[in-house]
Amino acid sequence: MSSPAIRITGLKKNFGASEIIRGVDLDIHRGERHAIIGPNGAGKSTLFHLISARLPVSAGVIELKGENVVGLKPFEINRKGLSRSFQITNIFHNLSVFENLRCAVLWSLGYRYSFWQRLAGLADARLRAEAVMEDIGLAKRRDTPAGILSYAEQRALEIGITIASGADVILLDEPTAGMSRSETDDAVALIRRVTEGKTLVMVEHDMGVVFGLADRISVLVYGQIIATDAPAAIRCNAAVQEAYLGTSLNHD
Amino acid sequence: MNSAVFNHGRLLLWGGFLALAFALPLVFKSGFLVSLLCQIGIMVVFALSYNMLLGQTGLLSFGHAVYYGIGAFVTMHMLNIIGKDGGPLTTALLPLVGGLAGMLAGVVLGYVTTKKAGTTFAMISLGIGELVAACALMFPGFFGGEGGVSGNRVVGKGNLLGFTWGPQVEMYGLIVLWAFLATVAMFALTQTPLGRMANAVRDNPERAEFVGYDTQRVRYLMLILSGLFAGIAGSLTALNYEIVTSETLNAHTSGVVLLMTFVGGIGFFYGPIIGAILISVMQIVIGGMTHAWLLYFGLFFLFMVLMAPGGIASVIAIQRNLWLAGLFGRMVPHYLAVALPVLILLAGLVGLIEMSYALLAGEGVGAGDTATKVMKMELHLNTPGPWLAALGVTAAGLVLTRWIGGRTRAAWNSALATLHGDKS
Repeated sequence: MSSPAIRITGLKKNFGASEIIRGVDLDIHRGERHAIIGPNGAGKSTLFHLISARLPVSAGVIELKGENVVGLKPFEINRKGLSRSFQITNIFHNLSVFENLRCAVLWSLGYRYSFWQRLAGLADARLRAEAVMEDIGLAKRRDTPAGILSYAEQRALEIGITIASGADVILLDEPTAGMSRSETDDAVALIRRVTEGKTLVMVEHDMGVVFGLADRISVLVYGQIIATDAPAAIRCNAAVQEAYLGTSLNHD
Repeated sequence: MNSAVFNHGRLLLWGGFLALAFALPLVFKSGFLVSLLCQIGIMVVFALSYNMLLGQTGLLSFGHAVYYGIGAFVTMHMLNIIGKDGGPLTTALLPLVGGLAGMLAGVVLGYVTTKKAGTTFAMISLGIGELVAACALMFPGFFGGEGGVSGNRVVGKGNLLGFTWGPQVEMYGLIVLWAFLATVAMFALTQTPLGRMANAVRDNPERAEFVGYDTQRVRYLMLILSGLFAGIAGSLTALNYEIVTSETLNAHTSGVVLLMTFVGGIGFFYGPIIGAILISVMQIVIGGMTHAWLLYFGLFFLFMVLMAPGGIASVIAIQRNLWLAGLFGRMVPHYLAVALPVLILLAGLVGLIEMSYALLAGEGVGAGDTATKVMKMELHLNTPGPWLAALGVTAAGLVLTRWIGGRTRAAWNSALATLHGDKS
């Protein structure tokens, strides 16, 4: 249990001449809920893309539970127990809610590329998918194609797919973006419930959500982390206030 | 919801189809019709194998005939080998050999083609298709050059149950058997983890990677399995016609299977079956009536892409939904009403096309008052009469179709609105 869930050292990412991530060092402890905040264009989503291998790293090391994962493919990192959601809903549009979730659990249950087993006969996959479906409140929409769900339902499904495999490190990229107040409250309750006992890293703009959920907060400004601390300390941090948040910290 | 491969309803349906397929030659006794049925059976397997890529995995291939053709050539060579030297294999088992050959081709070629999806895959499949078609002409030793490779399917002595597979009806029985087995296997595949993940990769490859799947591996496996079934279809075509030419694996054949699958409907398992039946019948029936059949094909394909991109299966599915909602009845008069002007329009268009074709192809158009035979009618194409008549019919058809078609469309939209209103 010594190694942190995620340890980032000297991480850099540049697109051509422009450097987006300019030397990030960050430890995410096991079991904590960690929020990454920062102004638009600070590189929060890019940081997520680097951790989850959606984008290749320019320099630096990312360790997942003590193991260097730089250079691995997304599916390899996923198999090591890291799962992520996307800012723009990323689901299987033509498949039903149930099929979406079942697809998300197949690998972790060891069914791999099997073409000699009937899906209908895989009770564990069905039960797991149904349990997640219950968790995210979409049991009534079981056979509805994901593409025609409402926006909030799609966001819930996105979280469901992310957690379904049982990964213990969860990355959520703006899980409440575009939601109404009440939808946001539901989403926060959902996130709290389904990430119980897991490591959660999230990018979020809604300060209510951030300060309500996070154990620790990191502030990313122009590709560098200027502070990592508990919410109360971040609120009072002069550098943070100066660099980014101004007065808005006390609202929302 | 019971989604087992063989629940009772499904068992009945599959059994019914098998019985029907075997019974068809009892009704259609003529040699022509049995040949047509053979062709249909082969194309059903080929189109279904194509849809494993297009409909199920989202891979648009322009070179699927490669696997079909390789299955056919290998079968033909095996047939000739066992014809000469004997051996443990019999004609009835050769589709397995052809299938394995198609699968092996998939293992080799698919490794290259499935590296990427989307446009890249389409382009590489086209390139590989051309490459193999070029090889077919460069290596006449294996591919038989222009004349192809021929053989005789009546070989060996230990034929099962006394069948020699010589008579066309016996060959038909063999095709039905293999087509049935292949269809069941392909359907079963859609109900497995790999089959479902292929759908997931089709819908959203990025998400599939982030739930632990190597999308390249999923595409590769699907292509290999698709090659297996294409190879079986190719093998059946070799046995059926007893000759295989390089045409079997060229771009035209790849185009035809794409057309069949798309017209039938890629979103449904049974779509390609409908497409294979329809296009095979059209090919032989319309091909027998007019030299301009490729033109009609093209127009039909264009019409389907524009008007019913989901294919015939999707049209059927919508009718079924209307039926279940009790709305089908009110659409029937509209369908009937629009059918007449559409037929008039078609008659006019066919007249114009056939007369133009006869004129341009110069089929016996003489000087002066010589009559030309167009669709069994003696017409004087150098006088304005027939042209004006055809134009008139076309124009009348067009006006009527627009007029009545508008009403049908309005009724259709209102029916759909009711349908969807009921649902949500």
